[in-house]
Order: sequence, then C-alpha cells, then structure tokens
Amino acid sequence: MPQLNPAPWFAILIFSWLVFLTVIPPKVLGHSFTNEPTPLNVKKAKPEPWNWPWH
Amino acid sequence: MALNFFDQFMSPTYLGIPLIALALSLPWVLFPTPSSRWLNNRLLTLQGWFINRFTQQMLLPLNLGGHKWAVLLTSMMIFLVTLKMLGLLPYTFTPTTQLSLNMGFAVPLWLATVVIGLRNQPTVALGHLLPEGTPVVLIPFLIIVETFSLLIRPLALGVRLTANLTAGHLLIQLIATAAFVLLPMMPTVAILTATVLFLLTLLEVAVAMIQAYVFVLLLTLYLQENT
Repeated sequence: MPQLNPAPWFAILIFSWLVFLTVIPPKVLGHSFTNEPTPLNVKKAKPEPWNWPWH
Repeated sequence: MALNFFDQFMSPTYLGIPLIALALSLPWVLFPTPSSRWLNNRLLTLQGWFINRFTQQMLLPLNLGGHKWAVLLTSMMIFLVTLKMLGLLPYTFTPTTQLSLNMGFAVPLWLATVVIGLRNQPTVALGHLLPEGTPVVLIPFLIIVETFSLLIRPLALGVRLTANLTAGHLLIQLIATAAFVLLPMMPTVAILTATVLFLLTLLEVAVAMIQAYVFVLLLTLYLQENT
C-alpha cells in the first residue's frame, strides 16, 4: 500500500502540523461573537440612592 | 489489477513539487480571516456560526480545565472536515488518507490527554483502569486488558480515519470503473451502477463529516476522563 511508503512520512507529518498550528487557529480565533440578548422579563435592578450631587 | 487502484493514494509529485503540500496549504483560502468588523459577509457568518455551535457542543462534556483545548479541537475539526470534503471531488488528493498524517495527529494529542491526567490527578487517571464492580478474581486480568485498550487508542484513532477514507475512495473508484467499463456493453447495468455510485458518493460525504467528528469527539472524551 502506498501509504506505508516511509519516504514522505516525516515530511507529511511536519508539514501538516505546521499548517495546523500556524494557519488555522488565527482564522478560528478571528471570529468574534456577540453576546446572547437577555430575555425581556429580566428586571433591571433599581439604582441605590446616593448622597453626592450629580456633578 | 487490484494494486493499480491503490495508486491513487500515493503522495503525488508533479514537476518536483509534492502535491500534498498544495493539498494541505490551499484549502484555507476558503476560510477568510475575519477582520474586526462586526458585520461580516455571508461566508464568514456561516463559518462563524458553525464554529460557535460546534465549540459549544464540544465543550459540553468537559469541565473548565478542558476548555483550554477549545481552539485546538475546533481547529482539528475544521482541518479534517475541509480536507475530507475537498478530497471527495474528482481528481483531488485527500491528505487524510495518509497514515502518517493521521497517526501524527492522533498520537501526540492522545498522549497529551494521558500525560495531563497522570500529572494532575494520577490516582483518578490510574483508577480508570479498573471498572467499578469487577469481581476480585478478575482484577489483575482486567487491569492488563484496560491498559492495553488505553495504549491502543492512538492507533485506533489514526487508523480508523485512514481506513475509512481509504476504503471509501477505493469503493468509489472501483464502482466508477465498473460503470465506465459497462457503458458500451450493457447500458442498463451501467446506469444502475451509476446510481449506486451516486448513492455511494452521498454516503462518502456523510462518512467524511462523521469521521472527522468522531476523531474530535473521542479526543474530548479522553480529555474528559483526564481533566
């Protein structure tokens, strides 16, 4: 079986790991995802009263 | 004659360039690197959606320690699925039919999960070697069996991928040859064979995706045991 031919084994291994480590993760990590929108029935907490002026 | 069909798996060289290098480096043109824009085009949105959902599904069985592996596992899935789907097109070469590639990925990643397990929680990791509830008499035998099954995992991972793809490609080539040869002599049989070929190709598409998924899934399972 030609897959058992030992000649390009190491080269294939090194090259595939090289591609796997350098090319793909930047493309995967580049995707950014927005936060899930919160459902409507979540109540906002009432603001605590404060004793200093606005500005 | 049978040996001729295996020639499709020889690592091809053309004008001195090993074509497997092209087969490994060019598919990533299909995955544009996202910019910092929030609004992407359709292709990026689709890929981003897939990555998001897949990562979420994959990280479900893992505890927080295993979440560090998210990038690696997602990259692995994209790598395998892209290479295999492209390899199903006619006249393309599938690098994942090469045993060297699959073993080269299976052995280090499996070894990493085992070493992590042995470093962080050696008792639990070794405890996996003995299933609960074994009769006392069977304990030594079962430990040997479990150790062997642990050690054979990387071999199984790599060879499973290689063998499934190789067998699929071989079948496609065989049936295609049969249909082509039968066409002048018995057109009806040729049409039937062509139908079989079509169905087989659909199967191969499914197998390609499933096998990539299985590879990654098993890695997550090994990781789950060991984190």
